[in-house]
Amino acid sequence: MKIICIIKQVPDAEARIRSTAAGIDLEGVTFVIDGMDEYGVEQALRIRESGVEAEIIAVALGPKRYEEAIRTALAMGADRAIHLETEEAFDPITQAKLLAKVVGEEAADLLLVGGKEADWDSAALGAATAEALGWPHSDWTTELELTANSAKVTHDADEGSEVLTLPLPAVITTQQGLNEPRYPTLPNIMKAKRKELKKLSLDDVGGAVSKIVILKQEIQTRERLNKIIEGDPMEAAQQLVKLLQQDKVI
Amino acid sequence: MVNEIAILDTKQMNFALPEDLLMMQRSVREFAKREIEPLAAELDKRPQFPWQTLSMMGEMGLLGIMTPERYGGAGLDTLSYVVLLEEIAAADAAHSTIMGVTSGLPQDILLNHGSAAQKERYLPKLASGEWIGSFCLSEPHCGSDAVAMKARALKVDGGYKLSGTKAWITSGGEAQVYLVMAKTDPTAGARGVSCFVIEKGTPGMYFGKPEEKLGQHAAITTTVSFDDCFVGDDALVGSLGQGFVIAMSSLDSGRIGIGAQAVGISRAAFELARLYAAERQAFGKSIREFQGVSFKLADMATRIEAARLLTYRAAWLKDRGYRVTQEAAMAKLFASETSAFVTHQALQILGGYGYSKDYPAERYFRDARVTEIYEGTSEIQRMVIARQVYRDLGN
Repeated sequence: MKIICIIKQVPDAEARIRSTAAGIDLEGVTFVIDGMDEYGVEQALRIRESGVEAEIIAVALGPKRYEEAIRTALAMGADRAIHLETEEAFDPITQAKLLAKVVGEEAADLLLVGGKEADWDSAALGAATAEALGWPHSDWTTELELTANSAKVTHDADEGSEVLTLPLPAVITTQQGLNEPRYPTLPNIMKAKRKELKKLSLDDVGGAVSKIVILKQEIQTRERLNKIIEGDPMEAAQQLVKLLQQDKVI
Repeated sequence: MVNEIAILDTKQMNFALPEDLLMMQRSVREFAKREIEPLAAELDKRPQFPWQTLSMMGEMGLLGIMTPERYGGAGLDTLSYVVLLEEIAAADAAHSTIMGVTSGLPQDILLNHGSAAQKERYLPKLASGEWIGSFCLSEPHCGSDAVAMKARALKVDGGYKLSGTKAWITSGGEAQVYLVMAKTDPTAGARGVSCFVIEKGTPGMYFGKPEEKLGQHAAITTTVSFDDCFVGDDALVGSLGQGFVIAMSSLDSGRIGIGAQAVGISRAAFELARLYAAERQAFGKSIREFQGVSFKLADMATRIEAARLLTYRAAWLKDRGYRVTQEAAMAKLFASETSAFVTHQALQILGGYGYSKDYPAERYFRDARVTEIYEGTSEIQRMVIARQVYRDLGN
């Protein structure tokens, strides 16, 4: 079977990111493979290690710097990679349509997508790609078991979890708990350099126009007033109510 | 001086690390930060040999970096080794000591001097981390003056009988493989020392209780004693009387390793101090705005950079086949004294918190201290360097 893992590259969780008038300044920021995508690669590797004959392909849509994250997926054990390279930023729906073309052309049986991107916090990509492909989709998946032509999954529902069976091909979005991703070994990191990394341009997949234009980007900050009310609890409470009313909180 | 080496090499000077090494560095840094660093404080308080993390390191290929792939190693060069060892040391010095000993000494020695059978038996297990290796040279009364050793290997029918006590043995009692130096001819001085590979569990081999040390508590250190311990002829590594040469030949790479380790500890201490100095406020500003603190941080960063460059260069020259006795000694000397300086200053910048066990500054300070002692003290390094420097005059 053919398993495709979608790879994104995101700023390292510990990176200090600055915001300027021009948008988010990523100068000097360390980028890593999105942790959610690592669950997907790990799951694909485990499927293969369980005895299923599988080719694992890492597919990414993004700027040139994504190569590093793609190499990480290859170092973990993916067989080859396809990089749909563009410096343009697309909304998840457009991304999904572009990726669906690559996935469809490869005639994959299983598509693993990170449940939520670490940078923009969007969880739309997996569902949108399933829609574009017309494939069934399981989101927030914590368990995945393959049979001959179906996938049995456990995924989180609002209150509890559901166990579903999906016919293949299907899209599975990952989340924490699905597995514990491995660290690439030194020999595999060396081998990753020699693995195929095919480059595609937007023209190769018919081009695209983003549905969304970004006008301004800002980093979410939590400004606090640091007002501390001291003194007698009763009086302090009254003062607090007054302040909250004054600021129209209550 | 050896700067002429640069002229002999027609390649241009290049300070960039290869791309795949950078990727390994990132990957190992991430691993060390996530899996090893969180254990360091606990391992310091309640020391135990970190088998679980060592086994992860083995799986990744970190315990046989320079051992060829055909023996299950990663088949990388000395430069890769020092770059990755620094990452482990920055997370926990004890891990890096165990790593340095098992890869730098037994694997290096068996690879260069072992018989085909010894290589087949030991290298794959050591390179994968299934077994840990140890090196027994020092004795309670002698360290760098190795020829003064008293351990004796008496020739008997079919093998040798060893007696004597080895001291300060890293991974003693935990390691499965011991490279042991003992005298086969006490009248022959340096030429009377031979090297043996001995497995844990061999009758007549005993381990002392773990030494209580200033730092690096999880790198368990014991004495290893031999009391009429019989080993077969096939335990002899290299030829009879070659032990001293074997021990000395492994010192250069061992010292480069200590250089990398000292750089790693220094880096950890520096990064902690830099962060603390940015956050800690005094008299209305962060303390890094004061010249007294900023100059400290500048000096720390400069010395770390210099120590790293000396270490990289010694490794780089070794990979190109140069004899690096002087460069290795310089890297080890400068990096270890840098780690003493940097960890001292880091503790000072953290003030009371630096002295408290709530922060790792005091642990870095203790862990760094031994880098000026093992694999030859700073005094020994200076003797080695001076000898090389005089040699340039032709006498």
